[in-house]
Amino acid sequence: MEKLRYERPLIKRMEGEMPNKFGSKSENKPLTHIDGVAVKELLSEYGSPLFVLSEKTIRNTFRRAHKAFSMRYPKMQFAWSYKTNYLDAVCSIYHQEGAWAEVVSGFEYDKALSIGVDGKHIIFNGPDKTAEDLEKAIQNDSLIHIDHLDELYTIIELIEKLEKRPRVAIRVNMDTGVYPIWDRFGFNYENGQAWDALNKIMASGKMDLVGLHCHIGTYMLSTKAYGIAAAKLTDLALGLRRRYNHEIKYIDLGGGFPSRNTLKGAYLPALDTSPSFEDFAEAISSALLNAEYPPDSLPLLILETGRALVDEAGFLLGTVISNKRSSTGKRTTIVDIGINLLFTSFWYEHKISPAQEFSSYTEETTMYGPLCMNIDVIRESAMMPLLNKGDHFVIHHVGAYNMTQWMQFITLRPNVVLIDIDGNTHVIRRNETMSEFKNMEHLPEHLKNFEL
Amino acid sequence: MQKAEKNLILFLEGILYSYSQVFFSKNKTLAFLLLAVTFFDWIAGISGLIAVIITNIVAEVVGYRRAYVSQGYYGFNSLLVGLGFGMFYQPGPAFFLVLGFAALFTFFLTIWLEGFFAKYGLPYLSWPFLLSIWMITLATRQFTELDISDRGAFLLNEIYRYGGIKMVNLYFWFNDLPIHEAIRTYFKSLAAIFFQYHLLAGILVSIGLLIYSRIAFMLSLLGYFSAYAFYIIIGASITDLNYSYIGFNFVLTAIALGGFFVVSSKYSFLWVILLTPITSIIIVSGNAFLSQLNLPVYSLAFNLVVLLFLYALKFRERNTQKPELVIAQYFSPEQNLYNQKNYQSRFDPTAYLPVYLPVNGDWTITQAHHGEHTHREEWRHAWDFEILDDSGMKFERNGFEIRDYFCFGQAVMAASDGIVQEIIDGIPDNSIGEMNLDNNWGNSIIIKHAERLYSKVSHLKMGSVKVAKGSYVKKGEIIAAVGNSGRSPVPHLHFQIQPDPFVGSKTLDYPIANYILKEKDHCKLLTFAKPGHGQIVSQISKTGTLSKAFHFVPGQTIRFIQYDQDKNESKAIWEVKTDIYNYMYLECQETESLAYFYNDGSVFNFTHFQGDKTSLLYHFYLAAYKVSLGFYPRLRVKDSFPLTAFKTGVQTYLHDFVAPFFSFIKSGYQLDYIGFEDHLNTSRAILESSAWLKIKRRILHRSEYKFEIKDGRFTHFEVKHKNIRLVAREVSE
Repeated sequence: MEKLRYERPLIKRMEGEMPNKFGSKSENKPLTHIDGVAVKELLSEYGSPLFVLSEKTIRNTFRRAHKAFSMRYPKMQFAWSYKTNYLDAVCSIYHQEGAWAEVVSGFEYDKALSIGVDGKHIIFNGPDKTAEDLEKAIQNDSLIHIDHLDELYTIIELIEKLEKRPRVAIRVNMDTGVYPIWDRFGFNYENGQAWDALNKIMASGKMDLVGLHCHIGTYMLSTKAYGIAAAKLTDLALGLRRRYNHEIKYIDLGGGFPSRNTLKGAYLPALDTSPSFEDFAEAISSALLNAEYPPDSLPLLILETGRALVDEAGFLLGTVISNKRSSTGKRTTIVDIGINLLFTSFWYEHKISPAQEFSSYTEETTMYGPLCMNIDVIRESAMMPLLNKGDHFVIHHVGAYNMTQWMQFITLRPNVVLIDIDGNTHVIRRNETMSEFKNMEHLPEHLKNFEL
Repeated sequence: MQKAEKNLILFLEGILYSYSQVFFSKNKTLAFLLLAVTFFDWIAGISGLIAVIITNIVAEVVGYRRAYVSQGYYGFNSLLVGLGFGMFYQPGPAFFLVLGFAALFTFFLTIWLEGFFAKYGLPYLSWPFLLSIWMITLATRQFTELDISDRGAFLLNEIYRYGGIKMVNLYFWFNDLPIHEAIRTYFKSLAAIFFQYHLLAGILVSIGLLIYSRIAFMLSLLGYFSAYAFYIIIGASITDLNYSYIGFNFVLTAIALGGFFVVSSKYSFLWVILLTPITSIIIVSGNAFLSQLNLPVYSLAFNLVVLLFLYALKFRERNTQKPELVIAQYFSPEQNLYNQKNYQSRFDPTAYLPVYLPVNGDWTITQAHHGEHTHREEWRHAWDFEILDDSGMKFERNGFEIRDYFCFGQAVMAASDGIVQEIIDGIPDNSIGEMNLDNNWGNSIIIKHAERLYSKVSHLKMGSVKVAKGSYVKKGEIIAAVGNSGRSPVPHLHFQIQPDPFVGSKTLDYPIANYILKEKDHCKLLTFAKPGHGQIVSQISKTGTLSKAFHFVPGQTIRFIQYDQDKNESKAIWEVKTDIYNYMYLECQETESLAYFYNDGSVFNFTHFQGDKTSLLYHFYLAAYKVSLGFYPRLRVKDSFPLTAFKTGVQTYLHDFVAPFFSFIKSGYQLDYIGFEDHLNTSRAILESSAWLKIKRRILHRSEYKFEIKDGRFTHFEVKHKNIRLVAREVSE
């Protein structure tokens, strides 16, 4: 029998059998396996820390979301939001499921092309599209979502040069009754900028205005806002029909659906507060179906959902470095995962599960990352069982943004592993090496020698 | 072609068809043979021709419908009068004077009788001839300047005069041919229609009939010989048939009622036999009456019997029962039979107004006609619609709440254009598992589409009704949402067609005009069908590029450039036109071929083709015979052609003889939806079709087609037929 670990004696207030306001104490359960693969083995094989993605969860979530919409609205299309996670393997799973690509930079655009996405199925968003990017997008017949008038003028200039008819849409921002109003992207609906842009496009006669786009915010907890957005875009679409007898082919409502991560400062866990795909689908489809589109020419509904599709499929596996007590006596645990890898800890209270059995004692703990910086805190205060040096743990819901917004700060980025449907593991992004970093640098001759 | 030249051709055709119209035909071979037969007595021949020409000129100059003149409608009665007149009198100035006015008189009688009978939807047959010839016969007895013809009395002299002794010998040899008296009388009866009594004339007419129509030929034999048998059975004098060869009444009656006005079948053949005694009664009694005036009965019996029988058939309550009347007249018993049978298999003639599904998207029929729960007795012809997901579940989450059900709150649409007749709203939606038996139907809308054709949707969501009583709704307009009110334990939509405007009305067994049936790995297009229990059905949702390509507007010109297997380039130009009945067709400028079509907005059908069966239009007709304007992956459309859609051969000629009873030649059409790319502003669909005709495994015709339709244009149309390879593309402006 293995020798029991020593646990420091602790005096703690009694908590009865009644659940506290955050639910019962069952939040902490060990997560020993992901899709049937042992966490321990993953860490010993691929090192710690380690990002793990579940293909099964990605596909299941996508299908659940798709069904929620397609059951309610006849024509719908997802476009995978590259910025959420643009690992080739992840994007390819979504493309296999039928999603188009939604990119916001020339880099992402090239990445989508490189894995074989037809230019026709790439939606190009974002405020910074260079003339070269736009030229490429026009040549590939991609869907260009115009963000500002300067971009529109660049496109008009390019048309003359390229003698091609680009497919464009405009991004519209609007008041949907939520705070804050995202009015920095696209053309405003209420003050008439949107109509101004539409009129300019129609008057130019040189491009195909195929759609209308908006993205009303992020981590939206209100379904109503989407209904309002759909109605306002519909108003523009029907206006175009009246004024120019022009049919808009699609309405793109962007993304912004919340995942199951709890926002910092939220009173209740996200599981209880985030509306489901069905709730969003209901609001959006009702708004579109009840508008005055002729039944034969309902527009295609495009959604650029990222976070809500992929967050749950991502896990971050780590190891405890040490335990300490703060000056106030609060327990602190130092782990090998910092904000360099868990960028989203700035706004989420990530759920963290130990990866092995533990005793039932929990204590309010601060989880510190390994960076030698004061801001490197991944959980300010979490009710955690006692973890010892060398123990493993799993951070949940990290599939969105962490693998795109991570930082190379004082250390290198770790492996990313995908567990496929059959439980096989694949390294889809190997860890970075020192030589790769050195390769990018150049040391001027006169700095090569020094003596200390 | 110049306009004058065209009009001249139409006019000449009008003269020619005046001959064939005596046998209800527009067959030129028959017309030429009949024309030749009338010249067996050349004075009668000239007299008949003059009467036709005068009539058609008057009709043209006075301003009657050219289409009717050119089809010989007005000419054939005058022809008969002219022939009769020519037989009785010797030519001379008075002869031609009276002939001219006789023709004019007959023409006016034709116009009057046409109008008179049209009120009853009946044809005027040869009534104008009868009235005219009788009156003229009575009148001319007083016209002393007219010389009675004695040519019949000196027949041999005449023959000798033209052909010498050889001709006389030939005449005798021919007349003495060992032919049974019955057959001899049959031929002579045929000749007698044109006032001829020569055996040869009868044989020629008979050959002409055979060329024109096998069914008409069979009917002529059936009519004649059933009369012959009847006379033997009742012991009447067979000389009656012989006497002035009055047997043609039976022949004409048989053709008219056995295949021309009535679709030929074993029933029509039986009726031809059953009507024989009536015809003979009219002949004998008419003769007794008219003989007092020394007038022959001519075709009185034929005219009376045909009118009587057609009138009787027209005013039946269940007028789709056998024997059926011909709906669209193709002037040939074969064409009438093949086309009508084919039409009935493609379009349900009882569904006079198309009714569609009241929902969009994929729905499962959870209770169909004669359902196990509530679709029984007077309410047995109804459907229940629900939405099931891939795993067969009706709901998400746990299904305890009505909003968990996929169909709850889905849009309900008007099944066809109409006026909102009745609305019930305000009945609350039940909780799952509960039923409101006090308000059985729940919230409902009844729409009136036509007289005795109403549709009803029930169990609607409370407060979802979007229309007002008395308002006009278009097909596909959203009128309410699916709910769970009334006798409805789980959300579903009840849909029924009914003959009355009331909420509790009994149902009507009425088909859905068209829908897509989704099966495991493919889809089918069903037309005029009734969805069955457990089937997944979907209203056809139009695909822009397909509906645009097949949206032919009158006045539009469609141009194709085509290349044959030797890379020879040629053009095909089609104009979209409408006829006076508002039927639309494509007309090929080059070949003047016509392809009639019908497009209800969701399915495009070709209904009829006439003209050049090597033209591109012909292949287009075969290729796009029935097209769903909604693209569904792995959709397959099937149909069948009338035999007359294909080139005729020995096999089809032989088939005509048995066609009224059974069919051994099968035709088929298949269209497959191969690929579709949609790039929002541009889209491309690829379809492949084939048309075939075969006896068992022997293929008489097989052609294969491929369409590529991009942005509403036929960018590629490929034809494979025998060794012909055509590739065409649309170049319309």
